[in-house]
Amino acid sequence: MPFIQLKNVNYVYPVREGASLKAIKNLSLSIEAGEYVALTGMNGSGKSTLAKLLNGLFKPTSGEILMDGVSTADEDKVFDIRRRVGMVFQNPDNQTVATIIEDDVAFGPENIGLPRDEIISRVDEALAAVGMSEYRKRQASALSGGQKQRVAIAGVLAMRPDVLILDEATAMLDPEGRDEVLSVVKRQNQNGVTVINITHSMQEAAMADRIIVLRKGRLAIDGAPAQVFSSGALRSCGLTLPPAAQLAAELKAEGFDLGAVTDEASLVEGLCKLFK
Amino acid sequence: MQAVQIKNLSYSYSKKTPNEKLALDNIDLTIEEGSFVAIIGETGSGKSTLLQHLNGLIKPQDKKRSCVVINGMSATDKKSLRRLRFEVGMVFQYPEYQLFADTVEKDIAFGPKNMKLDPDEVSQRVKRAMSVVGLDYDEFAQRSPFDLSGGEKRRVAIAGVIAMQPKILVLDEPVAGLDPTGRSELLSLVKKLQKEISPTVILVSHNMDDVAALADRVIALKDGKIVADGTPKQVFSDRRLTKAIGLDVPTAARICDMLAERGVSLPRDIITMDELKSALLALLSKDAPLNADQPLPNIPIPNDGGAADV
Repeated sequence: MPFIQLKNVNYVYPVREGASLKAIKNLSLSIEAGEYVALTGMNGSGKSTLAKLLNGLFKPTSGEILMDGVSTADEDKVFDIRRRVGMVFQNPDNQTVATIIEDDVAFGPENIGLPRDEIISRVDEALAAVGMSEYRKRQASALSGGQKQRVAIAGVLAMRPDVLILDEATAMLDPEGRDEVLSVVKRQNQNGVTVINITHSMQEAAMADRIIVLRKGRLAIDGAPAQVFSSGALRSCGLTLPPAAQLAAELKAEGFDLGAVTDEASLVEGLCKLFK
Repeated sequence: MQAVQIKNLSYSYSKKTPNEKLALDNIDLTIEEGSFVAIIGETGSGKSTLLQHLNGLIKPQDKKRSCVVINGMSATDKKSLRRLRFEVGMVFQYPEYQLFADTVEKDIAFGPKNMKLDPDEVSQRVKRAMSVVGLDYDEFAQRSPFDLSGGEKRRVAIAGVIAMQPKILVLDEPVAGLDPTGRSELLSLVKKLQKEISPTVILVSHNMDDVAALADRVIALKDGKIVADGTPKQVFSDRRLTKAIGLDVPTAARICDMLAERGVSLPRDIITMDELKSALLALLSKDAPLNADQPLPNIPIPNDGGAADV
């Protein structure tokens, strides 16, 4: 059975008296344990709503979401689901609850009433996993954006989650900070954590095993990066190809087929084959 | 005419404490009116500190040595400070967080009202600003800015700045967080604003592809110093420089370097994907396939120029 299963999920926001906004429309999909999924789409396509549905912050208006077989609408299991599905949000400045970094990472484990020794070992492990051990006694406010996001990820990892959802977690970072965060995420995925990265950046989406594109709350495209980029369907979703894939598509239109291009390395590979 | 004249500008945070940090180190900088300047550099390189000097949000610490003159007005002169702030429009990162009024119209009118313009002029400016940023007056003027989409909110915030018709428009990462459609719309908007309202544009960006496509001058900061200054072609094609100062290069330049490592030589001054495409098509369209014995059609790669580490 897939780890995450969405069955005909709808979600409607009440906007004001009498008005409502359908953010997710009849969405069905499943995600296996250990997958690295990029979730993308224009602003307003329903990405963030979906993320909040996945960890039980929102309940489907109709339909059902099963997380390892447990419905997210099950009130008795909601804390268990939030522990198992960790989220990191966009703004590095408003996700810390404590002044000192190790206290911040300990916040989750403390809340579920773990014994002190267990908390300490989880904090050690989580900080090591994001490469922030040496900063444990420092103040969170003195960190760079990328470091703050790594601490936020450590706070999630200390809960030993099955799924890590990043909601545009790199959007406010500079290129260096973005690379730091993405390499931490990649490593967690290699350790078996299911990753769902919500992003506008097609370069980032290209790093995933699978890209899911939403358009106006509906599933528009679902496939491997090479497949999605060559399908020509991204444009109709208001998205653009990453620069390397765009160039490959333009060269193909001129009669030069480079094969599947998702990133700069595969573009160079394709070109070198043509030049041989 | 010079829009910006900066001489000997240094600035330290937490001055005279153990945490003192030098953010700007003896900056000399002149920006001509009508130019589109991109300021690049890592986080902490001094970009924001420099920007905040441009409209007097931060005043030079050493008033005797340093000088910041904007359109002929000194940033240290209290009498002209108010006018100076009207002439330098600042669009900070995530400007939509600064929206506050209950309608789009009131939010955009806030700046021009503060300039003590008469009500007719204010309302004209609001309408013009909305039309330039592509927000239909009838549709949006009376809506709450908080009910709009991210891209729309940002356009409202920018309209609020350009309604003051600043001569210099300063934008700090204006496309951060927007989806690809929003990005390209906003970047073309900035070009349009330069033509129609603010002749001088100063843009802070981490995206070297945008810098290569838009700017006619690039200024790179590192540790509070200017470490590169020239046209995008000059700065990005000098790989010894970009490597030495750890500067990212545009995607097209990075692909050229990767190809060079594999023996495919392209001109080293390629910085946009369009240029890369033409150069590749020229190579690919040659009848005979390329091989090692054939001289490559373009300039050889200097040994010391090696590919940038990416």
